Amino acid sequence: MKDLSGKAAIAGVFESPRRDAPRVHPFALQMECILGALDDAGLTLKDVDGLCAASGDWAEGGGTMDVVELAEYIGIAPTYVNSTDVGGCSYILQAGQAAAAIATGLAEVVVISYAACPRWWPLNTPSFDPFVFPAGPGQYEIPYAPTLISTYGLFARRHMDLYGTTPEQLAQVAVTFRNHAMRNPDARLRKPITVDDVLASPMIASPLHRLDCCVVTDGGGAIVMTSRERARDLKKPPVHLVGYGAAVARTQNSQIPDDLTTPAALSGPRAFAMAGVTPDEIDVAQIYDAFTITPMLALEDLGFCGRGESGAFVADGNLTLGGILPTNTDGGGLSSNHPGKRGIFTLIESVRQLRGEGPGVQVPDARLALAHGLGGTFCSAATAILAR
Amino acid sequence: MTTMTIPPVQDETSAPFWEAAREGRFLIQRCPETGRFQWYPRAHSIHAPHARPEWVEASGRGELLTYSVVHRGNQRGDPYVCALIRLEEGVTVFSRVEGIAEADLRPGLPLAVAFHQLDEATSLPVFRPRPAA
Repeated sequence: MKDLSGKAAIAGVFESPRRDAPRVHPFALQMECILGALDDAGLTLKDVDGLCAASGDWAEGGGTMDVVELAEYIGIAPTYVNSTDVGGCSYILQAGQAAAAIATGLAEVVVISYAACPRWWPLNTPSFDPFVFPAGPGQYEIPYAPTLISTYGLFARRHMDLYGTTPEQLAQVAVTFRNHAMRNPDARLRKPITVDDVLASPMIASPLHRLDCCVVTDGGGAIVMTSRERARDLKKPPVHLVGYGAAVARTQNSQIPDDLTTPAALSGPRAFAMAGVTPDEIDVAQIYDAFTITPMLALEDLGFCGRGESGAFVADGNLTLGGILPTNTDGGGLSSNHPGKRGIFTLIESVRQLRGEGPGVQVPDARLALAHGLGGTFCSAATAILAR
Repeated sequence: MTTMTIPPVQDETSAPFWEAAREGRFLIQRCPETGRFQWYPRAHSIHAPHARPEWVEASGRGELLTYSVVHRGNQRGDPYVCALIRLEEGVTVFSRVEGIAEADLRPGLPLAVAFHQLDEATSLPVFRPRPAA
């Protein structure tokens, strides 16, 4: 894996400023993002020979052959495609695999794209995620009607019981990222909040309140990847993919490990080993925050703090500008943008930070960035380390 | 019971489990080679993948590992408790906890299995508090 480090670069990024896109089909939104990212790179659709997407879930517009549908909609015939769907971190996994494709000559210019429109999507088509089918493994869980939030609640409650984590510490995650979102003109929620506001918001699935949960937006984003050599002469300074790791672990709640270890404990060390760096060298992080507990477990599994220590780590202000690890500098999923699979935005904001283009808070002279995502309820994980 | 309307799709592998559930018995699987238990039921042993697991009746006793009370779910209805329960046999199952106030839920709470008849084909196991042994 070390051979792959730095072979490919992200040359262009684009995040749609939309947070509401009434009656815009997700493919139309993807096209806006793809053109935006290509323009950012100084490339055109004619340069693209690789396409990655995971657009087959509810409100994403595609079916099981989504990447074919999307290629047709765009009007290209890519020779490298990847529609691996491991949930919210799919686009980080696809970035790692696109780097391998570029390094081996399978592709030269790869677009990774995502959009979803959950705010208006009218079709009650089934989701293909593991949380809906009462068949096979799901026949022993789905009849009890677990909600997605309640499965995160299982993790949060156990973290509180095992490690003494408090609802106030969980709330501090939401407060921290809201402070970042206040400076991001595109963020969905920009009004300041306090820990008390979070705790006073309605309980959705204990111990998670409404403000422990991400926003629901229509939105999308895209990135353009190419070789280190080609990226050197494009419009924007390249951001190199120097570390990558991914892992899948489980879908059923009954398989949650006792100590709450998640597949980030596999993806993270692989990414750090490939990059040849350690967690203390990371200048800025974008860590998937579907709920307040989500980035906390990632901080532990990625080695930014010890097992069970994430509550205190967050409460001590380490995720703020000037802290040990400024995180979710655009406001994250909790306050800025969460159409359903936020992974693409962790890459986009990492690139913006390394270029000094952060729309929220900007870490001065950031050189090394970490983008980390998960899929489902800590079912899968993917980690990327990016460098100028 | 509220908000429990999606019946399980019973299949060749799971038929003995649901058949026993209709008789008020909770089955889990044991590996014939290693003697280790597994949950959820599969057609193979996860401890010895070429071995076919055997069914054994579980004690039905366990303790509460973690839980989440669903106050706002996908359908209207009263709050309900989704939970992970550690069975005496050492496996963890996902189910509902019933018959207890939210304020009395705590990790380690002793629980015992009970069954809800959904229809002729399905009795669904849930867990209720039991006096500590």
